Amino acid sequence: MSEAPPRPRRRRGPRLPKPPVPPAFLPRPLPPGTQRGAPRTALDHAAESGKVVVDWIDERTQLSGVTRWVMFRKVPRGTNWFYTLGSATMFAFLAQAVTGVFLAMYYRPDASGGAYESVRYISTSVFLGNFVRGMHKWGATVMVVLVFLHMARTFVWGAYKYPRELNWVIGVTLLILTMIMGFTGYLLPFDERSYWATIVGVNINGTGPVIGPYLSDFLRGGPEFNATTLSRFYAIHMLILPGAIAGLILAHLYLVTKLGTTAPPWVKATPEEPALGEETA
Amino acid sequence: MAPARRPKKSQYTLDRGMPGAFEGETVSRRRFMTGTVHGAGMLMTAGMVIPAVGFALGPVFKNVTLGWQTVGTPDMFPEDNYLPVVITIAPGIGEAGKSTVYVRKRNPKVDTQPASASNQWVAITSRCSHLGCSVLWVQAAEHFICPCHGSVFDVEGVRTAGPAPRPLDRFYTRLHDGFVQVGPRYSVNTELRAFSPRDPGEPLDGIGQYAYPSRPTVRKLPGHV
Amino acid sequence: MNQREKEAYLREYSILKAQGKPFFPYAVAKDSLMGLLVVVVIIVLSLLFGAQLGPKASGATTTYVPRPDWYFFFLFQLLRVIHPPGFLGVATIGIPTLGMILLFLLPFYDRSAERRIERRPIAVATLVFVVVAMALLTLRGAAAGSPTALTISAPAAVKAAGKGAVSEFYAGRAASSDVGCGACHTIGTAGNPGPGPALTHVGSRIPLAGIERTLVNPTAPMPSFKGLPPKELTAIATFISDLK
Repeated sequence: MSEAPPRPRRRRGPRLPKPPVPPAFLPRPLPPGTQRGAPRTALDHAAESGKVVVDWIDERTQLSGVTRWVMFRKVPRGTNWFYTLGSATMFAFLAQAVTGVFLAMYYRPDASGGAYESVRYISTSVFLGNFVRGMHKWGATVMVVLVFLHMARTFVWGAYKYPRELNWVIGVTLLILTMIMGFTGYLLPFDERSYWATIVGVNINGTGPVIGPYLSDFLRGGPEFNATTLSRFYAIHMLILPGAIAGLILAHLYLVTKLGTTAPPWVKATPEEPALGEETA
Repeated sequence: MAPARRPKKSQYTLDRGMPGAFEGETVSRRRFMTGTVHGAGMLMTAGMVIPAVGFALGPVFKNVTLGWQTVGTPDMFPEDNYLPVVITIAPGIGEAGKSTVYVRKRNPKVDTQPASASNQWVAITSRCSHLGCSVLWVQAAEHFICPCHGSVFDVEGVRTAGPAPRPLDRFYTRLHDGFVQVGPRYSVNTELRAFSPRDPGEPLDGIGQYAYPSRPTVRKLPGHV
Repeated sequence: MNQREKEAYLREYSILKAQGKPFFPYAVAKDSLMGLLVVVVIIVLSLLFGAQLGPKASGATTTYVPRPDWYFFFLFQLLRVIHPPGFLGVATIGIPTLGMILLFLLPFYDRSAERRIERRPIAVATLVFVVVAMALLTLRGAAAGSPTALTISAPAAVKAAGKGAVSEFYAGRAASSDVGCGACHTIGTAGNPGPGPALTHVGSRIPLAGIERTLVNPTAPMPSFKGLPPKELTAIATFISDLK
């Protein structure tokens, strides 16, 4: 356990007297036959407690293998800052999830006026309300920008090619779901802007031949914008889509871990360099 | 290379030499269990999904009708100008369920639609036939103007510029107990022929009336496509 | 991509991967710094701009000018650009659906093994076209005015004529907005491209008196504005003749 050579300690200033320690915490000489490093005092036990809990969980879940597989896999040579765009998008999604959950504590999906009033209440009366709403609003913008940048990186580097085709398809699905998130969330404050943008958006869906009119009726829950339209959009925005996005992100990450991130296309493996399995740098 | 055709196996488990097989048995235990898994799984999924989808799709097939709404007295509406009046198109949600309708008295010098009992007052919706933004009647220019994508309609609601695919929708009107009333909405094609109400963005000329059929949610008006 | 190319790639990739560094902590460090940056940017944007709340939704309004969120501006502008009514479905459903399908199937029709962007001319051309088109549509969508709200600013000649002329110009602009000149004429960046001619520089072709005559007694299909109060009519005519 503590086999590494002790680090030389630099001492600054005069040495202070040791604080008074209860006798139970004082180190005692090892009884004969005891293993070196085994916990002996209550303090040792306390220091070990975190490890004990982790060991207990790992013994029952065997998660350490997965963790090692995810965290200590190698990323190829040439990995640079462009590779952070994907995880940055995920962080933006997490920020949206957190702020969204807390906005839901005050929001009421009531088209007859309650929705607008509750958003006004969040903005004007709730402590940090306008700030959290602003974070949710601007988080959406940041997430959309990051999704497009991440996709541009993937496209330019040809990272969608074999063997990562499926991950590209998942990514495009995530892009479309993100745009639908933006569209459905736009209605929720229920001001003029939300209302008319939604009317136009639903009618755009309705211009598809034959099924378009039925799709519009489904989205609105009736022939005109009505009381159920808002609750439909709310359910889609905060239950259906986040669940779908979270699930697809997990699938996306699984494939990233399984297949590995691409190396930048200009980085080539040179034959002189050490072969498979050997470590450098 | 395709492998040579093998002799077909007997359908009886006994003939295939399965241990514990019964006389005349054709379904092995393994096949039965696999079938149970598939069958139960499909039934379970259907049990969850079908009610949920039906629940969500319900309103698509539910007919919603709104009665006649009184908008004013006959002398309120001039022949040469539109008067905006507000009616309710979706009850129970206050301001958001209202809509403006432009109403004027029928003017034989302008109107080309044949006169009938239901168009003595011309009631034109404010929802643009392009994508549903609210159009503004500009009296000076004698046109309806949509601020979204720039569609322009003349005094009869027929498109003169912009991307709108058909004229502005109209409402049936009637005189009832001395008051002008506005009834169901109907859509018109470029010749001002009446159709069952359509959503904005759906052309009615040519093949349009079949590509964008009338829906169960709005009453199919008698005698209209 | 044939089997040989697939194996060559996998072999090359396994070497590059073996030469790389562990994900934790080397890549994770960058990721977490980027995540921190994302949260900081969101917080700063929220503090700087907050979240607006407009007037309450009303279905009866006829004066509100709806606009989508900025990341739908390109779709919004597409609807304005494609304005023959027969092509409505192309703009609303056709182009976006086609774009999505092409995006989905990208790895299935681009099957070459080449990954370096400088050796993929078609990919570069597509990328440049899409980015430029989306950027242009987004910018023009953001700037698009309503036909009932003219945004043109006073030309230099009017500014040189003094404060009175400038305020007259803006009064005339407001009156022109109200009567809906932009419905049929382009004036600056606002207004429709037809059926009337563009008026952005009409003042250099037609004198004030001619404009006034046209407003009162126009050629069809332009409606006559003789019903307007004379003061308003003069204001509009002056504004239009100032457009040089």
